[in-house]
Amino acid sequence: MDDESNGWQLTESDPGVFTELLKTLGVKLVVDDLYSLDTETLSTLQPIHALIFLFKWVSNQDERGGGSGTYDDAFPGFFAHQVVNNACATLAVLNALLNIPALKTGPELQDLLSFTTGMDAQTRGLAITSSGFLREAHNALSPPSAISLDGLHVPKTSEEAYHFVVYLPVAGSVYELDGLKRSPVRHGAHSDGGEGWTSKAREIIEARIATYPPGSLAFNLMAIHDDSLPHLQAHLRAAQSAGDDFVTAELASMISQENDKRMRWAFENSLRRHNHVGLVHALTLALAKAGLLGSVTDQAKTKLKERIEKIRKDGKMEEH
Amino acid sequence: MTSEPLLAFKAGRSQRREGTNFVDAMQTKGIISLHKEDDLLHFKWTNRLTGETEEDLILFPQDASFSKVSQAPGGRTYILKFMSSNQKHFSLPKVLASGLYWHTLSSLSNERLTDSKDKFTARDEEFARNVNVLLENPEGSLTWNIASGSSTNSQVPASEQAAASSVTSSLPQLNADQLARLRELVATMASEPAPVQPTVSLSDVLTVETLSPLFTNHPDLISALFPHLPPDLPMPPSEEVLQRVIASPQFQTAVGNFDQALHTGLLGGLVRGLGLPEEAGTGVEPFLRAVQDQARREGGGSNDSGASSRDEMETD
Repeated sequence: MDDESNGWQLTESDPGVFTELLKTLGVKLVVDDLYSLDTETLSTLQPIHALIFLFKWVSNQDERGGGSGTYDDAFPGFFAHQVVNNACATLAVLNALLNIPALKTGPELQDLLSFTTGMDAQTRGLAITSSGFLREAHNALSPPSAISLDGLHVPKTSEEAYHFVVYLPVAGSVYELDGLKRSPVRHGAHSDGGEGWTSKAREIIEARIATYPPGSLAFNLMAIHDDSLPHLQAHLRAAQSAGDDFVTAELASMISQENDKRMRWAFENSLRRHNHVGLVHALTLALAKAGLLGSVTDQAKTKLKERIEKIRKDGKMEEH
Repeated sequence: MTSEPLLAFKAGRSQRREGTNFVDAMQTKGIISLHKEDDLLHFKWTNRLTGETEEDLILFPQDASFSKVSQAPGGRTYILKFMSSNQKHFSLPKVLASGLYWHTLSSLSNERLTDSKDKFTARDEEFARNVNVLLENPEGSLTWNIASGSSTNSQVPASEQAAASSVTSSLPQLNADQLARLRELVATMASEPAPVQPTVSLSDVLTVETLSPLFTNHPDLISALFPHLPPDLPMPPSEEVLQRVIASPQFQTAVGNFDQALHTGLLGGLVRGLGLPEEAGTGVEPFLRAVQDQARREGGGSNDSGASSRDEMETD
């Protein structure tokens, strides 16, 4: 309806939203929040293919991602520039996915990859932005708007300047792909033994976080990783046939937790897609039929009045 | 650095066809916004497609006025008119020096041009009136009629406003005939009372707390709500699911958005789809009143207490 941001709507940065996006793109991977970067937390999600670092963008002071990296203008993989603001989440996901070796994707993503071969990062960004399929996949979980209000909140304040950066291994090195930077940033080789590339990525991300003054950075980390359910289910069957009750119970509990999470994602995603105006009206009507709307409205008026008075009072106090 | 706008509303540019008195609405969607930056009032127009601010005028108090060009088809064309003596203050190209044209049409199809005339005029004029408040004095306080208390002082029909207005302004590029039909906005709006802020927010009406008596005391009304739940929920509808939905940030955001949308006063068409009169789309209070009436028509709400019982007695 509205053509602001070329039709790309603002989406929530939520693992359930990202996982649904991957599903639409025909990719059988899962995205989860990371509350810690320690080895144990990461080990429950391995194999991890990429880390998404989401942060409030302060300025471009941090040119090379913590100072340890160098621009790689001859990057061998896929890299696209961010050309539309609201598309940044999907762009970050694509920069990650299209560099995962031997990844199975839907036909649309394969087409995009072959179509953009040989293009520069800027043109690739434009190709992504003008893809109707990608835009629809991205917008699928934005609430349908009864009326366009976007334009009335001008201008976008810096509060909304969140930015997505992807870290992943390409050809033996850990790379940082940031659609607002000239080229991918190479942070050096990682070892294949032990924990693998995520150990190097942890160093880089921790160093980066340390460059911001304490408290000045709001950030969130997510991991793109293999779906653990098939794996857990196979282990469960093995434990059951081996008669290992302890492991069986533990695996069953992990599977049930995982299923609960998927259920919650499905619930939240269906709420994201839904137009709630009918429910808003039906609830108001039910309140009226129950004889409650009058008193509820009066209470609501008092609440708003109190809020306005509080704002006025606080405003006055600041003047002193 | 751009400051928070003092006022912003959707508007496109219009252009006077050279050598004629026709004013054409241009397709590009945009926003007019007024800002105070470094103690100066800026009048900006931002292209909503590119996000670029294509017009940024610094206006000193009483430099300009914003008024309706009422002979334009659809009646939603406005001119930002500059007082000639103040031209030296800002570096406008000569061609633009007399005025800039704008329109507030949301669509440029012919149907909408004629159709939308009355529906949106009141809202437009409210924005225009507030633009003039700021052009007169950047510190001036804005007032809005939209969520005003009683239905009696709801918007004056456009025809009445037109009849009440008189010619109080002049435009150098228009002939005398057209001048005679030009209506000055400020004059018409000045006669209207200026009520304050919205008095109620829908987000306070539909909360987990306000709705809980509905669940405990009126289970009969609950199942009627199920069809309005998302069709693809991963579980069958139930009272518990409904309560989870109401408590969810997604639903609360939707309520907030609808509340804001009602403040724009542009939801006439949408609320008709809910079986409500168009007036219900002009603000939160009109919406609540209309739903109250609807409940009464469908048989209910007879034992209501509080402010709206007064309304009931009127209709009895």
